[in-house]
Amino acid sequence: MALLEAEGLVRRFRGLAAVDGLSFTVEEGKTLAVIGPNGAGKTTAFNLISGLLAPNAGRVAFRGSDVTRKRAHDRCRMGLGRTFQVVQPFAELDVVGNVMVGALFGGGAKSVDAARREALRLCELVGLGAKAAWPVGGLTVPDRKRLELARALATRPAVLMLDEVMEGLTPVEEREAVALLHRIRAEGVTLLLIEHVMSTVRDLSDRVIVMDYGKKIAEGTYAEISRDPKVIAAYLGSEEPMRGAVPPSDPPA
Amino acid sequence: MRRALAGWAAFLVVAALVPLAIGGDRYLMLLANVMLMFMALALSWDVVARTGQLSLAHGAFFGLGAYTVALGHRYAALHPLLGLLLAAVVGTAVAAGLGVVTLRLRGIYFAIATLAFAEVLRTVAFQLPDITGGPVGISMPPLFDGDRLLSYYVAGAIFVVALALSLGVRYTRAHYAVTAVRTNETVAAAMGVPVVRTKVLTFAASALVATLAGAFYMPFITHTDPQDAFEVSRSVAALVFPIFGGIYTTIGPVIGTIVLRSFEEYLRVTPPWKEGYQVVYGAVIVLAVLFMPRGLLGLTQRVRAWRS
Repeated sequence: MALLEAEGLVRRFRGLAAVDGLSFTVEEGKTLAVIGPNGAGKTTAFNLISGLLAPNAGRVAFRGSDVTRKRAHDRCRMGLGRTFQVVQPFAELDVVGNVMVGALFGGGAKSVDAARREALRLCELVGLGAKAAWPVGGLTVPDRKRLELARALATRPAVLMLDEVMEGLTPVEEREAVALLHRIRAEGVTLLLIEHVMSTVRDLSDRVIVMDYGKKIAEGTYAEISRDPKVIAAYLGSEEPMRGAVPPSDPPA
Repeated sequence: MRRALAGWAAFLVVAALVPLAIGGDRYLMLLANVMLMFMALALSWDVVARTGQLSLAHGAFFGLGAYTVALGHRYAALHPLLGLLLAAVVGTAVAAGLGVVTLRLRGIYFAIATLAFAEVLRTVAFQLPDITGGPVGISMPPLFDGDRLLSYYVAGAIFVVALALSLGVRYTRAHYAVTAVRTNETVAAAMGVPVVRTKVLTFAASALVATLAGAFYMPFITHTDPQDAFEVSRSVAALVFPIFGGIYTTIGPVIGTIVLRSFEEYLRVTPPWKEGYQVVYGAVIVLAVLFMPRGLLGLTQRVRAWRS
């Protein structure tokens, strides 16, 4: 049984289908990458799965049960965690406070103190240990990405949906992040990632689906899809080249 | 947190001793009673503000509390102290119902819905003269035969409930829920925060306190009518006091109430202001909101930052 299953998802905005009959499955412990040009409907697909948007058609099943009608906070508590591409920390809470929100509500921490301990552990894990008491306004872009990851981990996800967590990172930071995601995966979290950086997709994914105009146009291993003429056409037709596809990166630490 | 609690314990001790300082002066005791009542109302409004909602219904819950006690006395000979309990139940239940319907609305739409709710209650009180006394209003005997010392401690008990609510939301998991909801509802939901439930529960708990304040007002003042009980200016006071002192805090609404209520009273009784005191009072509030966006607390923080 697949851990997460999307079946025929459709979401239209003013008649235009951002997601148009999307189906895919995520197996427990296997990392699935979702790639595609800008505007392909990847983030909309995440919003449908996490419950922030209701689909016009289709269903989402998690651990075999239909969650299409469940609200976002319930899905989070069930184990569907996510990050946001545009990171939006809670500006009036400090770094650890931001992570505590996830631990208290999504993660089911029993007390504020327990949530704080868990949040501090996650701050250490993502490399924010020294900045746990900082106001979020003082964080750099990479640190904000780290915070976003820590918050999502605090909800104790079984499936973690990562929406372009590498965006805005330098190549060195990217390698650190990939190593971190390997560690998270080793802890038993199933990853579902939207990613533009192809070296990351190659290093992390077990399977890849390619979206264009709201539809899945290809699915397979990284090696398979990178040879697929439909995929190459979709990318050449856009202004977004497959960044990082050519130079190989170091194997994860 | 310990320091804050110790500070508030000290504040309560001082407040309990205020009547000693006042002696037997009935006018000053009146002001002290009303001060506690408004502090409770201001604290209750601020708790809703922490979820990012602007309530214009707090004056209406105040009026609902006043009418509940008065009607309870008229039809069931209910003692005013039992009336307080009844009012708390009624206010919480009405707020929960109103919240479930309206708290899916955001920002200005919720504010308008709460304003409409206040108008509905006022109209009902007007239009049912056989039950509510209509425009003539409704009367009841004074609380403790007008003993303003005893009533001061009743108002004080209501203030303690308000304080417990305000501090409770600040120092428990509720703090993380309301702050997340206020900052970004979408992200809060994705982190597992039940957004609507957080807003409804906060609104209901807040209304409980606002209703208690009105339920105290009724037997203290002994007569009210729809115009007085559902006065819009009381909804405005409920939000101006916290904003003036500093919102999302416990100390802000308390200090804001003390400063503004005292100032308003001074203008009201002192020539030459007393003729047009509301104009001066209004102008001061406008200037305060324009130039002290985070209230008196923000001002002290700015002074401290400037000094160092």
